[in-house]
Amino acid sequence: MIKKILVIEDDKFLRELMSKKLITMEYDVVSAVDGESGLAMIKETKPDVVLLDLILPGINGFEVLEKAKKDPEIANIPVIILSNLGQKEDIERGLGLGAVDFMVKAHFTPQEIVEKLKTILG
Amino acid sequence: MENILNNPDELRKVRAALLNILEDTDDLRRSAVDERNKTTAIIENLTDGVILLNRKKQIEIINSSAVDLFSLDKKTAAGMCFLDLVNRDNANQFRSILIDEDKKRIKSTYREGATAINDLHFEITSVLLKDNEEEKGFLIIFHDVTKEKLIEKMKTEFVSVAAHQLRTPLSAIKWTIQMILDGDSGEINEEQRDLLGKTYLSNERMIVLINDLLNVSRIEEGRLLYNQEISQLEDIVEEIINSSGELIKIKKMNVDYKKPEKLLPKVKVDKEKMGVVIQNLLENAIKYTPESGNIKITIESDNKNVIFKIKDSGVGIPKNQQDRIFTKFFRAENVTRMETDGTGLGLYTTKNIVQAHKGEIWFESEENKGTAFYFTLPINK
Repeated sequence: MIKKILVIEDDKFLRELMSKKLITMEYDVVSAVDGESGLAMIKETKPDVVLLDLILPGINGFEVLEKAKKDPEIANIPVIILSNLGQKEDIERGLGLGAVDFMVKAHFTPQEIVEKLKTILG
Repeated sequence: MENILNNPDELRKVRAALLNILEDTDDLRRSAVDERNKTTAIIENLTDGVILLNRKKQIEIINSSAVDLFSLDKKTAAGMCFLDLVNRDNANQFRSILIDEDKKRIKSTYREGATAINDLHFEITSVLLKDNEEEKGFLIIFHDVTKEKLIEKMKTEFVSVAAHQLRTPLSAIKWTIQMILDGDSGEINEEQRDLLGKTYLSNERMIVLINDLLNVSRIEEGRLLYNQEISQLEDIVEEIINSSGELIKIKKMNVDYKKPEKLLPKVKVDKEKMGVVIQNLLENAIKYTPESGNIKITIESDNKNVIFKIKDSGVGIPKNQQDRIFTKFFRAENVTRMETDGTGLGLYTTKNIVQAHKGEIWFESEENKGTAFYFTLPINK
């Protein structure tokens, strides 16, 4: 079964790169450019994993995560934070809100992100 | 006396002399008053708050800035006991700095920071005035540093925001290069692979630099340490040595580390930051020691501290630059000539982290012979 990944990322180029990598690795990819539409997409498409950026136009990633975890319909969808924030407070806040992992974009290659996805998808 | 009284000439002389003395005294009195007025005017108009206490710790002089700071009026303030002043609701934060609660005494301080109720920041200095061995009173100065704090905060925030923003394009470069190297967009030839590999490393250096800058901005915000846990320093050291295995192998270094036979006393540290300290010191030792050199790491303890030591057989630090080695962005001349890369932030960060743990750091170094860095951490009791 092909797994579906939702990429919520406001930077066009990063979004395209990530999507391309995921498609190469034979995932089904959907994407959103801001928090509002990201949250709507989680509900609409019910992905297997969400890759979530934090600094987003409108409602930010933390809020998206908080709202998603409060909605019983989508609360159990694993969310990986993929952001360029990365201070300990941000990490603890993200994990505290229920993210399964926190990855700093600049510290991981797309391949490593895919590896992480694989372990989460089991 | 009789003679003088009977001699009008003499009397006149005496009278003239007395008048002279009186005049001089009056001049002196006037100039003393002038001086006092000048001093009062200076103290009164200082932008720093100034309070002078007498021997009984009562307010003798208080200037306008200080009166405003404590929301008093001059009349109430004069003669007031200093303890009563700092017991007022709006002076809590000053009390803890200025009063030794055990001994009910005023403490001597130098530029100790305090935040007042309306978010103003002060540096408080309190000086015991002494005449020989006799206590004459206290001089207490409240220096307003609100503006400096604000600018410092803006600067730090700027660095932090800029650093995070810089990471986005760097991520894009990193991801693109890696995907091309992985062959995700078709085959590439060896030369292209080589060039892209080098570009990737350059980009990694930029990412490291930005992480260093972020660390520095945390140092300047004064919130460097996050989560301090009781730990065994050996564990952190071993973890760092293991994770540097690749680097050690490439440069064929002989790293000599023997775990202490007995478990060392525990220390309270932010593990991640302490890892940065050991990583920095080990990386420096590797980087600035020629191939196949020796590095020796030991950890010991005395009754107060755990002491870490790392000694290399490297290029050393030139004597005339040793006093600047811990300053921000500084890199010694001999290592910049070696074309090693570095940001000049490593030892600055290292020192600040050690000091934030109430430890000390120092080194001994001789050019072309080697360097030994030491740091201590207080034992957790």
